[in-house]
Amino acid sequence: MSVRKRVDRLLDKGVGPLFLAPSVLLLVVLLLGPFIYMVVLSFTDLSYALPGRDGNFLGFDNYRRLMRDDPVFWESFRTTLTFVFGVVSTEFVLGFALASLLFHQIQRRRFVLTLLLIPMMLAPVTVGLMWKLMLQGEFGMLTHYLRAAGLLDPQTALLGDHRLVLWIVMLVDVWEWTPFVTLVILAGLLSLPREPFEAAIMDGARPWQVFRDMTVPLLRPILALVALLRGIDAFKEFDKVFILTGGGPGNATELLSIYTWRINFRNWDLGYGATSAFMVYLVVLILCAVFYKAIYWRAGGGQG
Amino acid sequence: MTVAFRKVSKVFADGTLALDGLDLEFEAGEFVVLLGPSGSGKTTACRLLAGLEQASAGRIEVDGQDITDLPPRERKMSMVFQNYALYAHKSVYDNIAYPLKVRRWPRAEIESKVKEVAGLLDIERLLKRRPRQLSGGEAQRVAVARALVWQPDICLMDEPLSNLDAILRLQTRTELKRLHEELGTTFVFVTHDQEEAMTLGTRIAVLKDGRLVQFDTAHEIYHRPASRFVAEFIGRPAMNTIDGGIVDGIFRAGDVALPTPGRDPGPVVLGIRPEHIVLHDSPREDTLDFRLDVPEIVEPDMLLFAACGEVALVVRAKADRPELRRGDALHLEFPADRLCFFDPDTGARRP
Amino acid sequence: MTRAWRMAALAALIVVLVIALTPYVWLFMTSIKSRLDALADTPVWLFTPTFEHYPKVFLDKGYLPMVFNSLVVAGTVTVLSLAVGVPGAYVFARHRFPGKEDLFFFFLTTRMAPPISVVVPMFLLFSYVGLVDTRTSVILAHSTFNLSLVVWMMRGFFEDIPREIDEAAQMDGHTKAGMFFRVLLPIAAPGIAATAVLCFILSWNEFLYALILVAFESRTLTVGIPGLVTPHGTLWGQVAAVAIVATLPIIVFTFLVQKHLVRGLTFGAVKG
Repeated sequence: MSVRKRVDRLLDKGVGPLFLAPSVLLLVVLLLGPFIYMVVLSFTDLSYALPGRDGNFLGFDNYRRLMRDDPVFWESFRTTLTFVFGVVSTEFVLGFALASLLFHQIQRRRFVLTLLLIPMMLAPVTVGLMWKLMLQGEFGMLTHYLRAAGLLDPQTALLGDHRLVLWIVMLVDVWEWTPFVTLVILAGLLSLPREPFEAAIMDGARPWQVFRDMTVPLLRPILALVALLRGIDAFKEFDKVFILTGGGPGNATELLSIYTWRINFRNWDLGYGATSAFMVYLVVLILCAVFYKAIYWRAGGGQG
Repeated sequence: MTVAFRKVSKVFADGTLALDGLDLEFEAGEFVVLLGPSGSGKTTACRLLAGLEQASAGRIEVDGQDITDLPPRERKMSMVFQNYALYAHKSVYDNIAYPLKVRRWPRAEIESKVKEVAGLLDIERLLKRRPRQLSGGEAQRVAVARALVWQPDICLMDEPLSNLDAILRLQTRTELKRLHEELGTTFVFVTHDQEEAMTLGTRIAVLKDGRLVQFDTAHEIYHRPASRFVAEFIGRPAMNTIDGGIVDGIFRAGDVALPTPGRDPGPVVLGIRPEHIVLHDSPREDTLDFRLDVPEIVEPDMLLFAACGEVALVVRAKADRPELRRGDALHLEFPADRLCFFDPDTGARRP
Repeated sequence: MTRAWRMAALAALIVVLVIALTPYVWLFMTSIKSRLDALADTPVWLFTPTFEHYPKVFLDKGYLPMVFNSLVVAGTVTVLSLAVGVPGAYVFARHRFPGKEDLFFFFLTTRMAPPISVVVPMFLLFSYVGLVDTRTSVILAHSTFNLSLVVWMMRGFFEDIPREIDEAAQMDGHTKAGMFFRVLLPIAAPGIAATAVLCFILSWNEFLYALILVAFESRTLTVGIPGLVTPHGTLWGQVAAVAIVATLPIIVFTFLVQKHLVRGLTFGAVKG
């Protein structure tokens, strides 16, 4: 076969592997590599802070330490769970309400929606910064108005109060991500066929019955999707909490990602830090599998 | 129970005038058909009656009570949609049971009623299925069952047969007629198919451009159409209409000259149904000669498309003259008592 | 919907919009307030604006290179992710092969990987090959999640193109590759544009990878922000200025791409 023919053949039949290989290769190198190294690291004692700890094999010592001797890790896990459940459920309820509101709002819907999306399109770091500014103890805009309204006493700064700070952080997340939930649920509502709803009205259903018997069941796949997407992302939360509180005061807002960051890049306890990183990865991976089952089932496998 | 539209108009948000002062009245137990081409306002009228749309002007009354602003669920009407609008996430049983569930009927009563209606529509074996597992005909029956299960005063149907294939359509047509006779429920049926309308309706309301053109029994509409539009819309093939004028008692149109004693002079539209034109073997004193264009054999009849100069028409005759060929001469008689005359401007029929 | 309901809905919508936009507006105002106004005990809403913070932080403090870094990183990541990911997406959309959906799931997991879990080993690995504190390290890190975004989003767009187009192009004599480049890509251009914008935004906004993998030279704009927030006191005017500049491309792009956002953010599961 001539060279020309060979090239043509490649460009025709070989397109599959040719087009797919680069991305697979890139991801394997960039992700699988570090993943394997992370697992390896988790079995060592590598530390940049303590002398002599240059990566000696430790067996399962790090894992034992995590499971039994590290209440801070589990405290962090609990904090993260509280955070995740709290924000996802709140964003869900608010997002659904907003989506319903926008569903009936026909005029300038696109424009309103775009404005509403700004909180979630801004860099999470910036979101953290904005709220840090507003909640600042002395001149923060919100702090001032809350005190003026008598809801906050002059000594307390919301970000410095270990009882309230987690709720504040959750509030910021709700502010940031409710638009996302709204957007997706609205898309779902708009995709529902109109006739069965008219049929339900003709059958005598009242608005709340239509909602319970028609809207929610028909939206179930999308609602599951949103809940899972937000759940996974909330679990990975880092940026804005980092800027808002750095995990504090104390450990009050030290989510798992922040705890892991502290172990690795403040204590430089890299072997143990890898163990923590692996645990986080594991939880997210499991949530991921659930997520994929949910949406793949919904799409009906109609791909390709 | 009397249902009445009183000068009902509907203008949509984009400015379309769907209904223009509709006046219509009918009684309980009737099978009223709303017939018309698309855009005639028939579906709009149906949806206004259901309460799914709001009238822009006018009133809708039931037994003298103004129900124009009443929400659908208080109107005691049910509806069968063109695309059946079944609840995809519920079983067939739950679909049919829904109107009863919403009205808080006890479980046992719901069960017996659903089974009863399912039996009436011959769908008992489908009760456990899901809508996506049903064929078009089956889905349509479920929709009808759901509409009848709670015994509404009026059952509205918006082109329910349009999505069925031809054979199924005829079968279902007969079934609907049977249902109407058995149950005695008032039906309001929307369609663009004039044959459907003529077979099903006790009375037919012909609509055009948002206005009521004629509301009568099938027989009257067929033999005494109120306007040229009705005449040309009803019947297959439709009534022949010829534009021309009467001078000295003779109707002339192109090369056609037909004696029309006792009619006023002036421009007029002549109408005669294809089956009323008599075909003779040889020319007679009262026949006109037409030249055959295309013969169409539709056993046991045949349709003869013929022309005389510029005047074209269709004749329906028995298919007992297969030897007729294009170009043959046809000797046609136009019996005077079968002729209709329409005003050339308004289209209204002249007595 | 009766008038009372409509009024209430409108009021609710206005309240929601105020809540959504006030923080950003407040940040912008802070960036153009004098130090006195910004730190006043009672919040100041009417004031004489001053733009002094912008040149101070970008020129005097040398934050301008960070803008450049962010641009280069986000731009390169976008181009790289598209170049590698779009052809891959085409294969998922049109070809059948064993293990296809499993491979697709693998792409999904890369998007979901917790950054903190990836950056720890990545940091060490990059330092071994001398890549730390270069833009390249951040570019590679961002590609990990952007690549699968591209593949997921573009698969949907390609699937929207009827197969008949492929077939017609092949009847016209193109090889599969030729058909992809000459026929499909132009048709998929709007989808590619939307995906590109989303890629850019995600890379531009990214914080954790940039924070860890870069020390000084190659800092992106987002990383510059915590640098100005210290326990000893924060120069709010300046840090607000940095943040506002960081948000400018985002605001613009959001308006451009909002039509395709649903598809992108839900991995093509919802068409929106």
